[in-house]
Amino acid sequence: MSIKKPQEPLIILVGPPNSGKTTLFNFLSGKKYKTVNYPGATIEYSITKFLNHFDITGNLMDSPGIVSMVPNSPDEKVTVENLIEHPEYGKPSVLVVTIDASQFSRHLLLAKQIINCGFNVIVALTMNDILEDKNLTINTDTLSDKLKCKVIKVDPRTGTGILELISEIKYTLKQERGSNINHIAFEEADIISIYKDIEEIENTVLHHTNVKKSDLENANMGLFIKGETKSLNRPDNLTMKIDSILLHKYWGIFIFASVMGVLFASIFWIASPLMELVDSGFRYLSDLIVSGHNHHWFSDLLSSGIIGGAGAVMVFLPQILILFFILGLLEDSGYLARGAMLIDKPLSKLGLNGRSFVPMLSGFACAIPAIMAARTITNKKERILTIFIIPLMSCSARLPVYGLLLTFLLPGKFLISGIILSLIYLFGILTSFVVSSVINKYQKTFIKVEDNSSFIMELPVYRIPKIGNVFKNTYDNAYQYIRKAGPTILIFSVILWALTYFPNNNPEIKNSDKMTTEQITKLIDAERISGSYASELGKFIEPVMKPLGLDWRVGVSLIATFAAREIFVSSMALIFKITDTDDNLNESLISAMRQARIGESNKPMFTTSTIAGLIIFFVFALQCISTIAITKKETGGWRIPILQLFIYSGLAYFFAFVVVNGLQFLGVN
Amino acid sequence: MTIADLDSGQRATIKRIDLSHPSSFRVIEYGFTPGQEIEIINKSIFNDPLAVSLRGALIAIRRNDARCIEVML
Repeated sequence: MSIKKPQEPLIILVGPPNSGKTTLFNFLSGKKYKTVNYPGATIEYSITKFLNHFDITGNLMDSPGIVSMVPNSPDEKVTVENLIEHPEYGKPSVLVVTIDASQFSRHLLLAKQIINCGFNVIVALTMNDILEDKNLTINTDTLSDKLKCKVIKVDPRTGTGILELISEIKYTLKQERGSNINHIAFEEADIISIYKDIEEIENTVLHHTNVKKSDLENANMGLFIKGETKSLNRPDNLTMKIDSILLHKYWGIFIFASVMGVLFASIFWIASPLMELVDSGFRYLSDLIVSGHNHHWFSDLLSSGIIGGAGAVMVFLPQILILFFILGLLEDSGYLARGAMLIDKPLSKLGLNGRSFVPMLSGFACAIPAIMAARTITNKKERILTIFIIPLMSCSARLPVYGLLLTFLLPGKFLISGIILSLIYLFGILTSFVVSSVINKYQKTFIKVEDNSSFIMELPVYRIPKIGNVFKNTYDNAYQYIRKAGPTILIFSVILWALTYFPNNNPEIKNSDKMTTEQITKLIDAERISGSYASELGKFIEPVMKPLGLDWRVGVSLIATFAAREIFVSSMALIFKITDTDDNLNESLISAMRQARIGESNKPMFTTSTIAGLIIFFVFALQCISTIAITKKETGGWRIPILQLFIYSGLAYFFAFVVVNGLQFLGVN
Repeated sequence: MTIADLDSGQRATIKRIDLSHPSSFRVIEYGFTPGQEIEIINKSIFNDPLAVSLRGALIAIRRNDARCIEVML
């Protein structure tokens, strides 16, 4: 048995979504924190030490927002269980429950439940200014008496009340009150009776602020308020005014579509120069290594396998950063919740949920953060269905592939290429709708989960987004992407490198007198791959490629794309023995593709029909090992990713076959 | 009569929650309890979901979920 080290006390921040928890966490921690997993779960949480000047020794933990102690999703279940006892950090000494003062009665439910469970609780009342705008205020002393725990008004944006909160945390820690925590199974009747209590509490602690006359009048006013509190406490006026436009029955959806269109465009336009920068940076690094150690297998492993693999991971970072930055701004301002509401009805027809929208949109950048974003969907069936269709959103790794294939089909015709590219995106979306409704219809067979579909969510008050929160969110997502997708892509990149490098790792080149060193290098690379394990593998699957009018060379490239789809282009260049420099790689590859013949025959391999078939293949095929890995993790098993792999590969092959042979039947080569 | 039957701008008081409805627990957790006053603030396109004013907050709720909240005018 291992001896447990004496642990530092654990202080956890708990609160409903939008209760100002993260802002408070940032203020107390000075934004220095690390992100860790709840053991055995997909939830990430932040843990940190208090800033030095607060003088508290202990771990401060942020927890995901929950509405109640009764979990409604697997993630919430883990959150609640870990509040009671965390496997690594132990039982919490203090729970700081954040409550939005303007949402007082609803947020108090969680606080009351937590107090009933026996935790040492301090209530931090946030957003008091919003309540004051409604001319209302909360008497914290009375509330403390009623709840039998300390209640402190805080504003983490200005620091108001923080010192009082800190000294209360210290005081509670010093008392060393052994906490006697019970997990209570709250029933409907319990919740209703807690709300009854809360209504009584609300009547005593909620007061009008602009009543400052004689005591008598004050008392009268108090009586008056008792009867009228509920109608006095209406949602924020400005928010309702903005909502009369943004949630307008007809304009609402139009505005939402425009906002998302701008977001979508910026993922590509702002990100593309940054992506090129990352790409050329890694290429420079890789060239540097090769030029230093000529053609040793180890330098090649470093440059092509490891640095190339790392580059494949990092190249999508700009898109992911921009996507999550803008989504963070929208979320923190309160708009994203409205978006989910506006789109819920159409999506529910497909068996999805308003909350599915953001993950689906993220899927256009990269499926990995998108699948992780699906965690916010509480309904299990809808979450799995969302994850299921995310690979059909055309991710940015497919863009270079479509770029190459469209340039081959329509050289120089940028406008038509652009239109066809949009159609490819649209086709992916429409297919996802069809797949979603079919899977939804036969959910018992495919998903094996039946869950009550519901959509209830709070529409938060509109606020200016807090940049600190947005940066934290962006950083967390980027970090998760690198940590989750990084190792898989890297390992596969090394395996693929080995498959294309061995056993013919040192081929002889004849008649090399008239060639430059660079050309010789490229030729060696090309010879090596044609005698490699990968080419044998490619030849093995050639019978499968033939019906699509393609041969083993494309087969090898398609296998290589499992590491990352955009590898297709560089792998084709290798196999077609392109000896040009990178600048006009696409151009020379296209001319090599034009000359490619099938086997010994005189028939060109790449024609309008086979290229169209390849495009269709890429729309469907689930060629991304990281997506498979993350889906396995997020759905808790191999069932869904394997189903996806079979269904999407089958669809890809079937439709590519139909397109190639259909076009040829119609006389289009 | 349930919240789902109300028009935009209409106010009502919650009479009871239909506990046989699968969403009833979630609805109660969000604060829809007997005696509370509610108001329909907005309706999304296709009249679904609804934005309801409740306890000083705006709650978006699907019509189907709203059907378990019985109200009186």
